[in-house]
Amino acid sequence: MRRWALVGIVVAIYLFLLAPLLIVVAVSFDPTDAFRFPPPGVSLRWYVAFFTNDTFMRAFFRVSLVIAALVSVLATVIGGLAAVGLVRFLARGRTLVETLFLTPIVVPEILLGAALFLYYSRLKWETSVAGLVLGHLVIAIPYVVRTVSAGLVGADRALEEAAMSLGATRVQAFAKVTLPLIRSSLASGAIFAFIVSFSDINLALFVSGPQTVTLPVHIFSQIVWQADPTIAAASTLQILLIAGLLGIAQRVFRLRATV
Amino acid sequence: MNATTTPARVGAALVAPGLGVLTLFLFVPLALIVAISVFTYSPTKIWLPVVTAANYQKFFHPYYVGVTWTTVKIGLLTTMVCAVLGYPVAYFLARVPSRWLGVWLFLLVTPLMVSSVIRIFGWLVILGRRGIVNATLEAAGFQGVDLLHNVVAVVAGLAGLLLPFMVLPLMAAIETIPRSVEEAARNLGATTPQLFWRVLFPLSLPGLVSGSLLVYTVSISALVTPALMGGRKVRMLGNLVYDEVLTSMNWPFASTIAVALLAFTVVVMTLYLRTMRALARRSGLA
Repeated sequence: MRRWALVGIVVAIYLFLLAPLLIVVAVSFDPTDAFRFPPPGVSLRWYVAFFTNDTFMRAFFRVSLVIAALVSVLATVIGGLAAVGLVRFLARGRTLVETLFLTPIVVPEILLGAALFLYYSRLKWETSVAGLVLGHLVIAIPYVVRTVSAGLVGADRALEEAAMSLGATRVQAFAKVTLPLIRSSLASGAIFAFIVSFSDINLALFVSGPQTVTLPVHIFSQIVWQADPTIAAASTLQILLIAGLLGIAQRVFRLRATV
Repeated sequence: MNATTTPARVGAALVAPGLGVLTLFLFVPLALIVAISVFTYSPTKIWLPVVTAANYQKFFHPYYVGVTWTTVKIGLLTTMVCAVLGYPVAYFLARVPSRWLGVWLFLLVTPLMVSSVIRIFGWLVILGRRGIVNATLEAAGFQGVDLLHNVVAVVAGLAGLLLPFMVLPLMAAIETIPRSVEEAARNLGATTPQLFWRVLFPLSLPGLVSGSLLVYTVSISALVTPALMGGRKVRMLGNLVYDEVLTSMNWPFASTIAVALLAFTVVVMTLYLRTMRALARRSGLA
């Protein structure tokens, strides 16, 4: 009896959590622009509107997706190297370096956004894809360092030593033994880095320029100026992409270790 | 080959690119913003490198004190709402043996990862002037009401965004409490409220403290949620920073507000570390 009461409460809280997303998905299939629930019918009208709208297409495919892909690759390489250095090589100063790598998590994102905006203007940098990629790297690298460090701690070092005693060099032992063991944590770091960049709005609101409007920033300005369900269609595509990536991450890695 | 220095050098080389990115695009920009916050505002040149306390004095004007108070109030309310909603979910996830745990976690983490602007758009569709609730009210013959543009709406929006940040550490803390402790309390006749306040709450306190810290620090620096759900009526420090940087172009004052925000975060972090140390000492003695 008590257990069912708890399940009921939990389901209600999950509905509160998921309601905004479910509504957005429902509205995206509405044949009208009245934002009604349940929608009076099913139509792909707003998806057609999305795929024929140059600004939306550009924001989604030529800005957000490109930036997220670059951030994912770069953050995984830089963060992966740092994790190996931290866990396998550094003894003295390890705590300090670890703390430095975690600072981006405690710095409010809008503070970083404002600081980068002032910094780029001081350097006389035009708004560019590079500026956004570098900003997103700062917030994505800690995720990669954390997941890959967790993977490395779990990978038994004795295996690497065994390979070395059998004649492998240190680099060979790492590449042939440890790398396959941490593959899943690298993959999950890459996925989270992609998502952090693809969903970001707090940095992008400050550092994106007219040529580099990301999807969340474009959605934001569309909500402010003229809300029409094309926003819902674009949002649904983002939700699907992120849910799909998280599904993959959950398959290869324990989701909780990351968040 | 020197066995004592080589690993340290390799380690330094491996962490160098990461530290380089953080130095150039986090630490230096933050130092710049702290520096600009004490510089003089100039309508023509934006800022002049002349040190002044004027920006900080301006921050103590009643209007800005008011916005600061609204920000702190919204942060505290959001944290409380997340704690109240977070406990049942965390307890359920930690305790109920379930093959579906993966699905529950997936449904918890996915909304956290989707851009906040999309989740807030969802709330606007539900609560907005032309939204679902108002359409239903009007269809039933009632007058539409403005459900947005108040503190409650902003807190609800933020709590929906940040709830997973509370649930995950709480869940981890509850998992470490042995079931036998709960069973013993039950066998000794504890009611559900007694079980919660005497057993679960004190033993899960470290999880509650970490969750609260995350929710509070993220919510006081909110920008998109108050901009879209609070409008002109509920303004937080984040909205001021945005307007001062991009609209008024008063970068010194924007920097001052941003530094104040950072100071609030650091104060809360310090309190957090102290509390955690105190909790660890207490459990060490017990």
